[in-house]
Amino acid sequence: MEFGFSDLQEMLRKTARDFLQKECPKSLVRESEQNDEGYSLDLWRKMAELGWMGLIFPEEYGGVGRSFLDLVLLLEEMGRALVPGPFIPTVCSGLAILRYGSEEQKRQLLPKLVEGGLILTSAFTRPIPPAVAMKDEIGREDGMYVLSGTRLFVPYAHVADWLLYLAENKRRRTLLLVDRKSRGISLTPLETIALDKQWEIVVDKVSVPPANILGRSGEEIVTKLEEWGALAWAAFVLGGLEQVLEMSVEHAKQRIQFERPIGSFQIIQHQCADMVMDIDGVKFLCYEAAWKLSKGLPANKEISMAKARASDASRRVCLLGIKIHGGVGITVEHDIQLYFRRAKAAELAFGDADLHREVIAKEMGL
Amino acid sequence: MDFEFSPEEERFRQQVREFFMKEENSVNGARREWDSGEGFGPFCWDVLRKLGKRGWLCPTWPKEYGGLELPFIYRYILMDEMFYFTNIYSTVGAGMAGPVILRHGNAQQRQEYLPRIANGEIEFTLGYTEPQAGSDLAALDMKAEDKGDHLIISGQKMFNTRAHYSQYHWLACRTEVTTPKHRGISLFIVDLETPGITIRPIWTVGGVRTNEVFYDGVKVPREAIVGEKNRGFYYILEALDYERISTASGLERDFQEIVDYVKKRGESTPLERQKLAELAIDLEVSKLFSLRVASMLNNDRIPNYEAAILKAVVSETEQRLVNTAMQILGSYGQLKKGSKWAPTNGKFEWRYRESLEGLITRGTSEIMRNVIAQRGLGLPRS
Repeated sequence: MEFGFSDLQEMLRKTARDFLQKECPKSLVRESEQNDEGYSLDLWRKMAELGWMGLIFPEEYGGVGRSFLDLVLLLEEMGRALVPGPFIPTVCSGLAILRYGSEEQKRQLLPKLVEGGLILTSAFTRPIPPAVAMKDEIGREDGMYVLSGTRLFVPYAHVADWLLYLAENKRRRTLLLVDRKSRGISLTPLETIALDKQWEIVVDKVSVPPANILGRSGEEIVTKLEEWGALAWAAFVLGGLEQVLEMSVEHAKQRIQFERPIGSFQIIQHQCADMVMDIDGVKFLCYEAAWKLSKGLPANKEISMAKARASDASRRVCLLGIKIHGGVGITVEHDIQLYFRRAKAAELAFGDADLHREVIAKEMGL
Repeated sequence: MDFEFSPEEERFRQQVREFFMKEENSVNGARREWDSGEGFGPFCWDVLRKLGKRGWLCPTWPKEYGGLELPFIYRYILMDEMFYFTNIYSTVGAGMAGPVILRHGNAQQRQEYLPRIANGEIEFTLGYTEPQAGSDLAALDMKAEDKGDHLIISGQKMFNTRAHYSQYHWLACRTEVTTPKHRGISLFIVDLETPGITIRPIWTVGGVRTNEVFYDGVKVPREAIVGEKNRGFYYILEALDYERISTASGLERDFQEIVDYVKKRGESTPLERQKLAELAIDLEVSKLFSLRVASMLNNDRIPNYEAAILKAVVSETEQRLVNTAMQILGSYGQLKKGSKWAPTNGKFEWRYRESLEGLITRGTSEIMRNVIAQRGLGLPRS
């Protein structure tokens, strides 16, 4: 029973933090919100060189073979720096292929992913109501699967090589690897609060070979991928909240009003204390969930706890942070709004607090 | 990060748990005595002595004082099981006074008190609060006049909860008028049988007996001073940090009761599921914060703002627990134990009243936030 990290893990954290402080300044984050790619290809390449994409993939695919706990540490630093890009969708989809893919699929995709040369994303969400969308269809023709449908909130679809496309047919869920460049696929950008390049995809009679079906049970794979994604975003948000707290405490120490630093007023102190308690809760829930995954133990309840708490805490912490900053806290120029908007996207990715509480309740037998 | 206990630690937990289950009669009796609000009775003492005999009460202490020289995690395990089975989260002797005597008492005091604490033979009552000194502890005014080989103590203490069944008073007095005030406070161990001490009960809305304690010219030997004269405030701050250490097992037990009630009743509503799931998260966080403190102590690091976080979160989780339970029970929640219609035998009607004290004793939630902000984040004092 130990609440501390190994020297190797501390080094991973420090290296990541120092690297990102230099290579992912807020100017890059802001630029990525405005440009077409939505991320820095140069930064992506450097991250790959550091072995980040391959951090938890086995050495046989060129990865580093580290644990989910190490990935969480890395994501925490990435969240602190607000690193833009398709890292989480790529790694989570890659994990799905690692766990459930055929030898052929793994061989074809994973080494490239680990090198940073492959981008994956998941296309799961069907629109509600379905009426306005391309109707979901899955047919067979000449031994191929022919897919039609609309999927929303697909991260970085415009740069993805492959989509993990969730098809539903008579209540049976199947995951297929679909070439994003297929004819019949059209993309429409979604303007979202975090300006984080999420897309509407319309798939119109796209042929997919049976060899591109992933695994046997689409239901199970989607569940697992959503768990990994939920924990990944919880860890990303955690890093962001820690940065928000640091900014707020620094501001409270510097800002003079009524002839004293505002951090000497009790209300500000209590707000900061509330932020600490929320953040530390998220932190240890994330670490516990990640540790369980690292040990190969079932962790769905712990993951849901981490994601639920991260989702709710992110609203509270960002709000308090903005309030402590006062007027400058609501300007575009100040960095805190970047965390505020990104936190909302993270909250909604792979289930918000209400959804995850329902998972927990079910686990409790309610 | 490792959330697993070692095989030896798991074995210890099994042994402790088996003890509590085997000694069912005494343990249930101890629980009844504690929950009655009237304090330790014969069953409590029996359980404490039996734990003490095994060295389990103070397992981290040197063997010469009745300990087992084990890492803190063993004390954590004992506290966890004891809280679960008896609802007593700690004794003052083992949890607060003892550790300070160990670190700051002289050889004679260590010999005099530590073995009897470890054996479960004696208990202490905390003597900090006064009518005019609560959160502002340094404002305390009970005076100890130095007469050379003894001191004469006069004044009044408030909310000294264990006074009516403890053998010793862990007493904070003013030995000097100073600016700032805290530099004139000394810490004493006073035998509560000493003439001149009067104890009067105060009853809380939660049904717990606490006490006013009056000292009228009480003669106390110089040897009663713990550590250095006028340095008492610092020892008290240390004792307060220890006091804020608890596990969450008692809350987990109560939580399970309301969850079982809902399961048995059937057809949980979405709102009930949301609230109970949120409580489950709160309890997991409480447990993790408790483990963090345990891990620090295991590595000989003294927690300070981390203990404040733990205390605030556990007591506030307790509030949410009792409020959620009452919401779920509806009109029936107001029925007291003994009513034929009372669900969970009136457990939450009582806990709803009794849980108030958690927000105030051992340092109010507000003071905890001051500690977190000032000691944890370095924010300047007001």
